[in-house]
Amino acid sequence: MILELKNIDKSFGEKEVLKGVSFTAEGGKAFGLLGRNGAGKTTTIRILMNVFPANHGEILIDGKPINYDKIGIGYLPEERGLYPKKLIIDQLTYFAELKGMSAKAAVKSVDFWLGRLGMTEYRNKRLDTLSKGNQQKIQLITALAHDPEIVILDEPFSGLDPVNAMLLKDVVKEQIAKGKIVLFSSHQMSYIEEFCDSIAIINAGKVAISGDLHKIKRNYVRDKLVVSTPKKQQIKTDLGSICTAREDGTLLIQLASPSEKQAMMKRLIENYDIDEVKVFEPSLNDIFVEYAGEQI
Amino acid sequence: MKQFGKILKFELKGYLRNKVFVGITVFLMAAITVVMFIPNIITAFETEDEGSTTPTEFPIMLVSAEDETLSALIREYFENAFPSYRVKSSQGSLDEIKSEVISGNAECAFVMNSASSYIYYVNNLSMYDMNTEIANTVLQEVYRMNAMIQNGLTPEQAGEILSVQIESGTETLGKDQMQNFFYTYIMIFALYMVILLYGQMVATNVATEKSSRAMEVLITSAKPVSMMFGKVLASCIAGFSQLVLVFGTAILLYNVNKDALSNPLISSIFDIPVELFIFMIVFFILGFLIYAFMFGAIGSTASKLEDINTSVMPITFLFVIAFMVVIFSMTSGSVDNTAMLICSYIPFTSPMAMFTRICMSTVAWYEIAVSIAILIGSTIGIGFLSAKIYRVGVLLYGTPPKMGTILKTVFRKQ
Repeated sequence: MILELKNIDKSFGEKEVLKGVSFTAEGGKAFGLLGRNGAGKTTTIRILMNVFPANHGEILIDGKPINYDKIGIGYLPEERGLYPKKLIIDQLTYFAELKGMSAKAAVKSVDFWLGRLGMTEYRNKRLDTLSKGNQQKIQLITALAHDPEIVILDEPFSGLDPVNAMLLKDVVKEQIAKGKIVLFSSHQMSYIEEFCDSIAIINAGKVAISGDLHKIKRNYVRDKLVVSTPKKQQIKTDLGSICTAREDGTLLIQLASPSEKQAMMKRLIENYDIDEVKVFEPSLNDIFVEYAGEQI
Repeated sequence: MKQFGKILKFELKGYLRNKVFVGITVFLMAAITVVMFIPNIITAFETEDEGSTTPTEFPIMLVSAEDETLSALIREYFENAFPSYRVKSSQGSLDEIKSEVISGNAECAFVMNSASSYIYYVNNLSMYDMNTEIANTVLQEVYRMNAMIQNGLTPEQAGEILSVQIESGTETLGKDQMQNFFYTYIMIFALYMVILLYGQMVATNVATEKSSRAMEVLITSAKPVSMMFGKVLASCIAGFSQLVLVFGTAILLYNVNKDALSNPLISSIFDIPVELFIFMIVFFILGFLIYAFMFGAIGSTASKLEDINTSVMPITFLFVIAFMVVIFSMTSGSVDNTAMLICSYIPFTSPMAMFTRICMSTVAWYEIAVSIAILIGSTIGIGFLSAKIYRVGVLLYGTPPKMGTILKTVFRKQ
């Protein structure tokens, strides 16, 4: 299954929030939707979920306009919150039923998920009696109970302890393995790097860059070397200004052109005590700062 | 449609599980039970009290006149006219009489200047003090009687003239305002209470979902129209069943306890004609819905619960004005005045105004039909409009936007 957003425009009054947003997400893979606060991520998600229509553009599933009666979407909003005063089982089945499940199937599925997340003991409790982390897990069930084809998770890991984060990772991996489209939105780059094969960075309502994360990384000019060595001072003195120290204790060497790569590696290995030398690849964090750093 | 049913069910369940809602209903039913047995309770106390009440316990009323024959005559008449007083003649000075009244030895005093002029002394004048009116009637009668006797009539003849009985009968060809007044009043008042109470509940309900951010999931799960109609109809059913329970209890107990309640006023409330009862239900439901939709829309624009009270103010004002117009027209007796005529076609006021006119005046069937048609049309229109406002409103956080801004957003082409 392939989800395509094509040239989505959206304005609220005079304010243009989205200007031609396009990206493609595939089933069985996780997709990272990145952007700074106010870049238009939530608006994109809401249009995708048909909360309001786009001014222009289309949303396609396998090349055909999306049919919301057939394609289920699960959503974990960044702003968490359900009914604090209602019983957990009641509200979870309510949300599952709203998504089209029968009452019986809803109860069955909710019970499965309560078990899967280790929350069965809270089944008949009120939501406001639970801790924040547990409330998050309950909210996750609203996104998954109706077994949607598309799962949208906005900052899913915020507020979870490492054990619960691990549990959530497993759940997300299961969803991906089932062939679903999992759409991640997060500022925690490490999680995005861990899960997502493809990303789109939205900046000021436009897609600044999108596509396969590995390809994006490989497309960077390979004209920098990262060197791990005990002889840092010596190398720095010998190479001068092209060599700078990095925060993690390694050295970064800026080459005049990518073609110098082999020669420089050879020179380093032959002359100094080198633990490791490799071509510098930017982290997602570096990419994010580069593309989303400035509001265009 | 499926979603609508589920929302309705969920919201109704919410009302039924709400302890305050259930508590109020039970309390109202208990209160109405007590009210319906008040005559029995009073009778029970009265029979007990009968033996212990002696005439000496009646308060003292002093009568004073310089002319002793006048004093004695008036005392005699007053004894008959004020059976709940011990009427005594007093020969004391004015100051003595005043101090008697102030000290509480006597409750009041009539100091006669002549047969047709007096000053009434009383310590604290009660709102319900009718003594001067009674005294005036008695004194007038005495004066007339004396005048007639002086002009040569025998006391018997004079008595006959004064006590002539007029035989009369009334046949109401239209509506008897007196008889219909009370259930009209009760319906108007019930509508007023229920709309304000449940309207606030709907607004709070929506605003709570918004402030607890449950809305983020809801709005992506259900259509705004289903949400709005589900919520409002659930509150309507809850409110209506509460009324049915309370008034049902009243009607049931009235039939059980009919003998004790054989007061014409009470039976006028319960003997409501069937067609008026149907109109009552129609106007009640439509009136309830049109306001509940507006309250729901307002609730969706508030980000915090505290904002609701100020946001609903315009609707509350509109409603209170409608209520005032109707109540003033009812009490003034002219329910067909211009204000009422206009109000009976405006959908926000017609549930009260038209119903009152149907009950207390004669309204042509086509007038009623037009009024109900306008009301049904507007209720549906307001329902869909409020769903649109809801969709825009629930996603806006921060200061509640102005109604104009919201409507602009709603009607902008998307």
